[in-house]
Amino acid sequence: MRGGRAARLGVAAAVVALIAAAPGVASPFIVQFIINVFLLAILAESWNIIGGFTGYASFGNVAFLGIGAYTTGILLTKASLPLAVALPAGGLAALLLAAAVGLPILRLKGHYFAIATLGVAETMREVVYNVEITGAGTGLVMPIARNPLLFFYLMLGILVAVTAVNWWLANSRFGYGLVAIREDEDAAVAMGIPTALYKTIAFALSGAFCGLAGGVFAYWITFIDPDAVFKVIVTIQMIIMAVFGGAGTVLGPLLGALVLASVSELLSTQVVTLAELFYGVIVILVVLFMPKGLVDVIRRRAFSARAVAATLREYRI
Amino acid sequence: MAILEARGVSKRFGGLAAVSDVSFDLHAGEILGLIGPNGSGKTTLVNVLTGALPASAGDVRFAGVSLRGVPPHEIGRRGVSRTFQVVKPFRNLSVADNVMVGALFGARGGTRDVTTARRQAEEILDFVGLAHRAAAAAEGLNVPERKRMELARALAMRPRVLMLDEVMAGLNPAEIDEAVVLIKRIRERGVSLIVIEHVMKAIRNLSDRILVLYHGERLTEGAPEAVLNDEKVIAAYLGRRYAEAARA
Repeated sequence: MRGGRAARLGVAAAVVALIAAAPGVASPFIVQFIINVFLLAILAESWNIIGGFTGYASFGNVAFLGIGAYTTGILLTKASLPLAVALPAGGLAALLLAAAVGLPILRLKGHYFAIATLGVAETMREVVYNVEITGAGTGLVMPIARNPLLFFYLMLGILVAVTAVNWWLANSRFGYGLVAIREDEDAAVAMGIPTALYKTIAFALSGAFCGLAGGVFAYWITFIDPDAVFKVIVTIQMIIMAVFGGAGTVLGPLLGALVLASVSELLSTQVVTLAELFYGVIVILVVLFMPKGLVDVIRRRAFSARAVAATLREYRI
Repeated sequence: MAILEARGVSKRFGGLAAVSDVSFDLHAGEILGLIGPNGSGKTTLVNVLTGALPASAGDVRFAGVSLRGVPPHEIGRRGVSRTFQVVKPFRNLSVADNVMVGALFGARGGTRDVTTARRQAEEILDFVGLAHRAAAAAEGLNVPERKRMELARALAMRPRVLMLDEVMAGLNPAEIDEAVVLIKRIRERGVSLIVIEHVMKAIRNLSDRILVLYHGERLTEGAPEAVLNDEKVIAAYLGRRYAEAARA
């Protein structure tokens, strides 16, 4: 057990080291693509904490990306603070927002929770539109970063951290508490799990990483406005990538982000007009044929026609 | 000494009095049978005792301390466990992981280490006779296995008081005999039990005392033989045929 764990950690460290060396050999275009994959993977892994492990499908996680982006952006531009302060502040702001809205809305379940989170994200966008300090509808222009590789390593660092948190959830008492809440909240309470506290911590963690990613994102794309950082579609993407890869698994959301971002990139360069349609078809096929995600299929090596048929039967399709 | 005391406990749902003014003591090391017809308030009483539902009136004291206003998870942390009549497995987890969650949480003083908790879960699965299914997914268990897992999960919480809500429903006679033996062994571990059951043979065999509920009220309480031969209990719940069969 321990030996296996050390070996896995070694493999993970080697993979991260390899990726970290990529900018030395890859073209600037590829580096930009990888940064985008990092961003999507961070968001998917963040969503996984509340949606995958805890079973609370948040449709408003983009609110945390947005508040992270704006907090970091405002501190960089209006307060002229260094990124080393502005970025953690963005993460902290998202964490506090998630905890504050989580306390009341995590009492809701299923559809009601989904709708409430959607409402939070839309409300945040309207607030930002109507406040002076955010630049309202005209947006915020960021200072120019001197080293473009800064974004690559910041995103990589955040991705490693959020993946580590997911790994910890899969192997810790706290994580088992979240999974128990997902599986049956009444039983979880009866077993002594402080569900309200656990859910709020999970939501806050999920928010904090989205906020950190948002801060880097704002600096990276150099200009933000409310429509750019509070897009509902971004939350939908988090959910699709996490579910595609395997919600509630450690590496599933990461894998989902990588595969879907690659597919999306290929489609948009090859068949520009139909890219969105293809993307939609792929999502539908995946949900039909691998409802538990890519990681589950790989783990069970269920590639054969018989395995696919068995999955379809099991899910009564 | 009473480990659990209910005093004037009532639970109303709107105009319906599901439990009315019920008082009783559960003594340390005792098995208290809780019987009554369907809808008499047995499960509601357990829900109130474990804090899953707030009482409309009355008080419950555990180890001398009032549980009024104590959140349900905290009642579990203090050492009160229960099983659910409609079992609530963590479906996508293995049987061992289900029980492990009980060991990781449950009453204070347990382990916080996953590896230790898993070992404890295996011991408890062995104790309830489910060790051979440890690695199976919980959703794949049959009814008797689900009941055993529910029991194992509650036991893993290291309870001082354990409430079993119809753990024998759906079991065949041989399985019921095994369950009776198992519950007696749980009591030998120093656990006090409240056992809700419709299987009279098991209740008579297990209980030190029996409490009878009828329309949410306490009909009577006492030694098994006295209660099961009580005319009121026969009229309200057991029925003539049971009484004649028992006498024959």
